[in-house]
Amino acid sequence: MSKSRALYAATGVALLSSLAVACGSGGGGSGKAGAKAFDPKDYQGGTLTVLNHRDQGHFDPARQYTSGGGKIPTLVFRTLTTRDHTTGGPAGAKPVPDLATDTGTPSDGAKTWTYHLKPGLKYEDGTPIKAQDVKYGIERSFAPELPGGAPYLRDWLIGGESYQGPYQGKELDSIQVPDDRTIVFHLRKPEGDFPYLATATQFAPVPRAKDTGVNYEKHPISSGPYKVVSNDQGKTIVLDRNPYWSKRVDDQRLAGPDKIVVQSGLDQSVINQRLAASTGADSRAITTDTDIDASVLAKLNGPQGLAKRVATGYFGETWYLAFNTKVKPFDNQKVREAISYAVDRQSVINAIGGTAVAKPATTFLPDQKAFGYTPYDYFPGGTAGDPAKAKQALAEAGYPNGITITLDHTTTAGTGSGPEAATAVQEALKKAGITVRLHASEENDYAEKTQKPATEPGLFLQSWGADWPSGGPFLAPVFDGRQILKDGGNFNASQLNDPKVNAEIDAINQITDPAAAAARWGKLDADLGKRALTVPLYHPIYKRLFGKDVTNTYVSQWNGLYDLSRISVK
Amino acid sequence: MSETATVSRPAAEATEPRRRGQVWRRLRRNRAALAALGVIALLVLFALAAPLLAGLEGQDPTTFHNDLVDSATGGVPFGSFGGAGAHHWLGVEPGNGRDVFARLAYGARVSLAVAVGATVVQIALGTLIGLAAGLGNRLADTVLSRAMDLVIAFPELVFAIALMAIVPDGFPRPVLLALVIGVLGWGSPARVVRAQVLSLRGLDYVSAARLGGSGRWRIARREILPGLAGPVITFALLRLPVNVASEAGLSFLGVGVRPPTPSWGQMLSTATTWYEVDPAYVLLPAGLLFVTVLAFTVFGDGLRTALDPRAASRLRVGTRRRAKD
Repeated sequence: MSKSRALYAATGVALLSSLAVACGSGGGGSGKAGAKAFDPKDYQGGTLTVLNHRDQGHFDPARQYTSGGGKIPTLVFRTLTTRDHTTGGPAGAKPVPDLATDTGTPSDGAKTWTYHLKPGLKYEDGTPIKAQDVKYGIERSFAPELPGGAPYLRDWLIGGESYQGPYQGKELDSIQVPDDRTIVFHLRKPEGDFPYLATATQFAPVPRAKDTGVNYEKHPISSGPYKVVSNDQGKTIVLDRNPYWSKRVDDQRLAGPDKIVVQSGLDQSVINQRLAASTGADSRAITTDTDIDASVLAKLNGPQGLAKRVATGYFGETWYLAFNTKVKPFDNQKVREAISYAVDRQSVINAIGGTAVAKPATTFLPDQKAFGYTPYDYFPGGTAGDPAKAKQALAEAGYPNGITITLDHTTTAGTGSGPEAATAVQEALKKAGITVRLHASEENDYAEKTQKPATEPGLFLQSWGADWPSGGPFLAPVFDGRQILKDGGNFNASQLNDPKVNAEIDAINQITDPAAAAARWGKLDADLGKRALTVPLYHPIYKRLFGKDVTNTYVSQWNGLYDLSRISVK
Repeated sequence: MSETATVSRPAAEATEPRRRGQVWRRLRRNRAALAALGVIALLVLFALAAPLLAGLEGQDPTTFHNDLVDSATGGVPFGSFGGAGAHHWLGVEPGNGRDVFARLAYGARVSLAVAVGATVVQIALGTLIGLAAGLGNRLADTVLSRAMDLVIAFPELVFAIALMAIVPDGFPRPVLLALVIGVLGWGSPARVVRAQVLSLRGLDYVSAARLGGSGRWRIARREILPGLAGPVITFALLRLPVNVASEAGLSFLGVGVRPPTPSWGQMLSTATTWYEVDPAYVLLPAGLLFVTVLAFTVFGDGLRTALDPRAASRLRVGTRRRAKD
C-alpha cells in the first residue's frame, strides 16, 4: 500500500519548510482576540492574504493529505466530520459533526459506521448535497490518477485494497447509500478512530456530473463558505464567497473575509519580514507554513509589539533519531541506549531555532493528552546528555574503546533533519567516545532512501507527525511489524515486528472511547520506549506571525494552525 | 615585427635571472601589490598556524558552548559583538556557541587550500591542453578549441553541485572540491595558453629551432613553455580569488565541505539568517573573504603589470637596452 507519499507528505510539511502548519493565538499564544468579545457580525468583509512558502499542490479533495493544505481546504470542502473549529488549545483536538448530524454511529464492534447528512446543504451552484456525492468523493480518491491521500481508506474499507476508483465504472460496495441523506461504511476491522478519519478532505462531496478527473483541482465544487475563483496550479489561489453557504447550515465556520488570496513560493525570511512590517495588504496577512526566525525573535519584545502578533500552536509531531536494527551495531540494544544517553537535546533544539520553536522530547508520543502522552525517560541524560552513562552502556555493549558510526541527514539547513542538527548530535556523541561520520543527502533522495528497508541507513534523523490527534496513527506506522513496506514508503525504521506489539495495536483500534484508547496507546509507547528503538529529540512548537489587522486568531492542537475559517480582517 | 620577436626570446631563456630581478624591481615600485603580498602572507600564516592560534586562545573549532547562546531568542550569543571577549576573541557562533576565531582560522585552511588546489588543476590542465591545441595539427586544434568553448560555456555551478552530490562519501571533501572546481575551470586558461602559443609559434627563434631539427615535444618544452610562464602565472593569480569565491559559493549552497569542518563559505551560509541580530557573525567571514579576494586580485594585477611582455618590450625597444643580446 502506498503509505509512502502520503505519510511523507504529512511529515514533509515539517521536513521541508522550517516547520509547516501552525499558528494563531488564543489557544497557546496571545492574540488580539482576548481584549474584547469577538462578535463575528462586526467582522465581515475585507481580503485576507495568506503568504506561504510551500504551494498548495493539488487542490483536489481526493489528493489532499490529512494534515495537508494548511487549513485552506476546510474553507472549500466540508466533510462528514471536522475538527472542532470553535475553540483553541487541546479542546479543539476532537472531531465534531460537519456535513453529518453526529460524529458517526458505530455498530458491529466499530466495524460499521453510519452517518446522516444535515438537511438543506447546497453546493456553490445551488444544487443539493447528497450522500451519493460523499461516496463518489471517497471512490475518486482510490483512482490511480488521483494519488496523494492518506492510506487509511484503502486499508480500512472492505475491498479497498483492490479498488481502482469510479472511472472504470465500478463502485465500492463497502460504502452504502440507502437514501440521499444516509451513508454507511463497512470496515474490514474495528476502527474506533473512524470519526477522526472522516475529517479528511476525501470525505468531501463531489458531484459526479461536475467531476473532470485530474482537472477537477482547477475548479473543485465548493461545499464550504468559499469557492475557488482561480487556481494557478496551487501557487496562487483566489477564493470568493459561496452564495449558497450560510452560517445556518454550518456552526463551525465564521467566514469573515469576503475574499481570501493564497500566495505561495515566497522565501521564508521574506514572509517574516513582510508580516513583521505589516504594511498595506500585508497588515491583513497571515502564513500557514512559516515559523518566526531569529530575526523576529530578537525584535519580539520591541516597540513594534510583535509579541502580540505571534500565534503559538502545537502540532503532534516528534523529531527523532531513527535506528535501523538490521544494521550493525544498532542491532545491539546497549549501543542504542548509549546513544540515547549521550544525545544533547539542548544543542539540537538550538540548531533548529531555540526553545521558542521546540521543546525537548523523551517520549515518542507528542506531549498532548489526546495522543495518550505518558511521561517516561528511561535513558536520562538531562538536556545536555550524560556521556559517562553512555560510555558505560557502550562498554557493556562490547565497545569499551568507543565506536565509529554514520549518521544520515539532509542538506536542508535549519530543519530537524538538516546539517546543523546532525552536527549537534555528532558533537554530543563525541563526548561519549562515539565518533560520528555525517552523510548528507538532498531531501527527496533522503526520503526515498530512508523509507525503503533495502537502502535504509543505520542511523538517521526523522520526524513523525500526527494524521489526527490520536495514538494510533502515531504509533502504528512506526512500530507495527505488518507496516514494514519493502517497496518504499516505510516508516517502521527500526523494522520491529513483534507479534505482541502488533496484537496490542489491533486491540486498541477496537476501542471507540478516545480516552480509554489514549491510555492504552500511552502505555504501549512507554513499553516501546524501554527498547530504545528511537531517540526522541524534540517536539516542535509552531510560532507564526500575523498582520496587525488580523483578529480572532487562535490555534487548536489538532494541527497547530490558525483556523482560517474563523479569522477576520476587519 | 621581427625586432620585437628577437627581443622577447632572450627574455624567456638566457637572461632569466636578470629578468626576474627586473620584475621584482618593477613590483617593488607598486605599493598596492606589495601590500597585497603582505596580506596574502598574513592569511597563509593565519591558515597554517590555525591549531597554534586556536590553542593560544584556548579554543577549538568544533566544541559547542550552549551556555554562551540564548536559546530563547533562537540562539543569539550573549554579550556584544557576537559574544566577543577574553575567552572568545571574535565571539561565538549563534545557535551552538562554537568559537568564531578558531573556525575562521581553520576555515582559512580549507578556503585557501581548495582555492590553490583548484588553481593548480586548472592551470595544469589548461596549459597542457592549450599547448596541445596550439602546437597540434588543425584537427587537434579544432577539437580542443571546441572542447574549450564547451567547458567555458558550461554552467559551472550547476555541474559542480551535481558532481559534488554523486561522489561517494569516503572521498575527502576538500580534495574533491579542488578537483571539481579545477576540472570545470580549465577552459579559459587553455584558451589564453593556446593564443600565446600561436603567437610564439610563428616567431623566428621557434622556426629556427624547428629547422635545426628539434622535435615538437622539445620545441614545446624548451622554446614555448618558458615564454608562457609570465602570462600563466598572472592568470593563475587572477584565477585564485575566483576559486576562493567558488569554494565559498559551493559551501554556501551546502555541497562544499561537510560539517563540522569549517569553511568561510559555510560560515557565511549559516550567517545569512543572523545578519540582523548578530551582524558580527556575518561581517567576519565576509570581511575575510573580501580581503582575500582583493589581495590576490591586486597582487595578480601588479604582477601582470610587472611581467607584461608588451609593456616590457615597449620599454626595451624604446631604450634599446636589450637589442644587443
